[in-house]
Amino acid sequence: MTQQDPTNIEPTANLSSQAVDLSKPETPDAPPRQHPAEADKDGVSTPTQANNDLQGLKSMIEISDLSFSYDMGKTDTLRNITLDIPEKQVTAFIGPSGCGKSTLIRCLNRMNDLVETSRITGGEIRIMGQSIHDKSVSPIELRKQVGMVFQKYNPFPKSIYDNVAYGLRIQGIKKKNILDEAVEKSLRGAALWDEVKDRLKDSALGLSGGQQQRLCIARTIAVQPKIILMDEPCSALDPIATAKVEELILELRKDFTIVIVTHSMQQASRISDRTAFFYLGELIEYDTTEHIFTNPSIKQTEDYISGRFG
Amino acid sequence: MAKQVSSNNPFCKKKNGIKYNEIFQFGFFSFATYCILLCAIVIFGKIILEGTPVLWNKGTDFLTKKPQTLVVVEAIESENIEIPTENFDNILNSNDDDALPIENVEEFEKPYPYNRFKLLPDSIIGEGYLKNIEQQNKGFFLIYTERDTTSPVGFSVTKDKALSLKTAEFEKLKELAPDLIPTEVTTREVTLTDFKVTIAKGEYSLSKIAFTALTPSTLIFQMREGFADDDPDSKTCPTLIPSTQTITVDASTYFAAFDEDERGTLLVEAQEELPKKTQFHQFTLKKGNYKVSLPALSILTKQGITSQHNLDRGSIVVNVEQPIELILTAASYEQLIAANPGIKVSDTEDFEQKENYTRFSLAKDAEIRIDTEDLEALNKANETSGNFKTSSKYTHSYSGGGILGPIVGTALLVIICMAVALFTGIATATFLNEYARKGAFTKSIRLAMLNLAGVPSIVFGLFGLGLFVMLAPCLTSTPHTESKWSVPLAPWGSAPQLRVIEEKKIHMETRELSTSDVISAAKADSKEYFYDGWTYLSFQGWGTCMLAGGFTLAIMVLPVIITSCEESLRAVPMGFREASLALGASKWQSIRTAVLPYALPGILTASVLGITRVAGETAPIMFTAAAAERSDLPWEAVQATGFSAFIEFLQQSVQALPYHIYTVAGRIPQSEYTQPMQYGSVLVFMLIVMALAGISIWLRVHFRNKIKW
Repeated sequence: MTQQDPTNIEPTANLSSQAVDLSKPETPDAPPRQHPAEADKDGVSTPTQANNDLQGLKSMIEISDLSFSYDMGKTDTLRNITLDIPEKQVTAFIGPSGCGKSTLIRCLNRMNDLVETSRITGGEIRIMGQSIHDKSVSPIELRKQVGMVFQKYNPFPKSIYDNVAYGLRIQGIKKKNILDEAVEKSLRGAALWDEVKDRLKDSALGLSGGQQQRLCIARTIAVQPKIILMDEPCSALDPIATAKVEELILELRKDFTIVIVTHSMQQASRISDRTAFFYLGELIEYDTTEHIFTNPSIKQTEDYISGRFG
Repeated sequence: MAKQVSSNNPFCKKKNGIKYNEIFQFGFFSFATYCILLCAIVIFGKIILEGTPVLWNKGTDFLTKKPQTLVVVEAIESENIEIPTENFDNILNSNDDDALPIENVEEFEKPYPYNRFKLLPDSIIGEGYLKNIEQQNKGFFLIYTERDTTSPVGFSVTKDKALSLKTAEFEKLKELAPDLIPTEVTTREVTLTDFKVTIAKGEYSLSKIAFTALTPSTLIFQMREGFADDDPDSKTCPTLIPSTQTITVDASTYFAAFDEDERGTLLVEAQEELPKKTQFHQFTLKKGNYKVSLPALSILTKQGITSQHNLDRGSIVVNVEQPIELILTAASYEQLIAANPGIKVSDTEDFEQKENYTRFSLAKDAEIRIDTEDLEALNKANETSGNFKTSSKYTHSYSGGGILGPIVGTALLVIICMAVALFTGIATATFLNEYARKGAFTKSIRLAMLNLAGVPSIVFGLFGLGLFVMLAPCLTSTPHTESKWSVPLAPWGSAPQLRVIEEKKIHMETRELSTSDVISAAKADSKEYFYDGWTYLSFQGWGTCMLAGGFTLAIMVLPVIITSCEESLRAVPMGFREASLALGASKWQSIRTAVLPYALPGILTASVLGITRVAGETAPIMFTAAAAERSDLPWEAVQATGFSAFIEFLQQSVQALPYHIYTVAGRIPQSEYTQPMQYGSVLVFMLIVMALAGISIWLRVHFRNKIKW
């Protein structure tokens, strides 16, 4: 975190306070940063350098040897991905366009099921110990636990209130007091309550871009998922709105496991605890953010981070 | 470059004709555009110019239920013509102001004697008389279950009537009703001539009078089409006589069918006269009321005695639980009592109902436009005085407006059509856009739809005739004997009421026989329907009705609806679906809550445009739903109750605006009186379509402002 010093002071302050919070229930997340180079494999010879040692943190998502294809298995978009994502941490996926990071994140809540020709061609994904492609797993129940925020903020053309209450309503919750409470809690959780509390009945489309994206986050946390997947959540936002969303992500880290895809290396370094670098459908390197950004084991990673390609 | 250097201005015009090309292109495109504008102005202008005065003059009269028929009467100058005030007002409305030389208009009240009485249970009453009571008492409709053929029936003779009976009939009458025959009976012997006629085979054109005369004879012939009751006697129909035949007919038939003047083209090869001596018994039936049995009455009716009894099926047993209070005009009541010895009435009292009448004089001979109903009232009111005299009378069908029925019919057709088309169309579009795999299957469906959109509408009409009118399945306890396929499902509770049996000719059978046996028994009985205590799923079609028409129109408009629904669905951002699914919605939940609501504006706009298209179609409803003329609105004709009333309502044929315009413009004799009706109807139709288009635009703007992303 120290290398790429965020210009905004507040997120850092938040992070430090959060680190204190986290240290109580969980193993402190300081150690990974103090021992960045966990080089038990030869980083130069093997193409993949995945440090799946979570240093005592509980693993939330375990991806083992995953291969994925969009065209009935003719060509693999993802090849042999193996990585473990720790609970209540922010994990960033970085890499150039088309490297498969968005595909991977969409595998985690089975959004790729919408593409008819998509296939898992090898390996498996376990979330909370359960293989999510098992026949007994309902994608609907899975998605209730694994929420998602999209690249382009996409609130429904309804009121702010209805947007946040949407997820609860489709679960059949109709009682007004429960909904009111959940909406307020979610909007507070998304740091949006103070801005919109007087106009909950107004259309969500009247909000600014950053507010709309935070509303989408509020909508996602309203259904109380365990994991939040974020697919380039700030790519359509200006720097100030981005700062607010980042601040929010650091806040959400307390309660949710967050996986974020980003194109901005600075963003990854500012907000994530662990970072995975993908290139051409393969996981090149996965380690603590500090390690990746200060001392990458593989040359490709270093080149990408330093801006030599990608 | 060198050329350009020669001029100082590098952008100067070059003389290479491009300019003239551009002028030509501009001219051509603007000409095409203005041509269309001109056409629109001419069409709309003509309709509005011609139609507005019609609507203005007619006002609400144009909106009467049934297409009125105006009669143009040449009335002769006379005084003290009486007419009910209501009809008088109608006449004034139908004619131009100041055109009628009406003088000395005076209103007065004319008392009409009525009888109020109570009809008691177990009365026996003739069918015609019951219908008469029902006509005069709105809301009284007797459901009966029993008929009676043994009780005596009555008839009245208003003035002495001379009867002349052949021996066989006379003997029979003597046996059936000995009281009827007076002591003075003269017997006369007459030589009658029968004719033995040989008719060559071939194609003929048979007049109605000849057809009527030949029907009871043994001649075998095939009619290409039939005669309607109201056709004139001189109308002819192409007829085939399949083989050369020899028949023997009596003199009256002979003169009707083969007389030189009336023969038509019937080719008689040979004929032979067969003189025959016949005895006639002549006697006089004195004025008065008589009571006889049904068979006796049927002999008498052939001699010109009038009666409203149903001679074949007998009288009706009134099985009401309580006495019913009814009214009848004094004349009808008197007739009723005289003709129905089995009737039981109580509490009969006279009362007078005053009706407003107008008395007027015609100062000189005048041409009056008058509605058929008003003319009838006018003639009836002046029957005794003979003050209203006419020299000539021309009937102009459909010349008196009456567009409410067509408007209501079109509205009902459109409602049924859109209900079916939207339900099916949205479901199909949702399936194609949200569920179906993109591939050869969806491609072929889209191709099929494109082809369907190009099918001529008359083909849809014929398709609807074949499928909905003649083949569609329906649940019934009384299937048609010509049903393509009937599947017995479950026992049916109650037998159809006798009234239905009488009207629809249902063959009653028990379930001991198999369905096919019941059907053949019913056919042998020459009945159209059969009842054997079971509910059938019968593929007999729905008949010509608004339901069939609505479904046919729906199939015609489906391609348009599906295509526009699909476009609307495609316009909903993918993000809504993803966001909804990512929140744990099932596929259908996400479609219902995050896709369809935002596609709705587009779907609504498309459906309103679909309505304007459907409302204007003539060909698909021609065979499936449309009636040229109906005197009542669809809901007025329903007699059943509960759910079956709804079914009965849907199974009626209706008038429709485009078909009405077609009828007025192309199927009736044209005259100066019918022409304004065309313009009026077209203007009304155009206003409706324009209103619908306006709604569509409003919907689009409204929703666009409300929902956008």
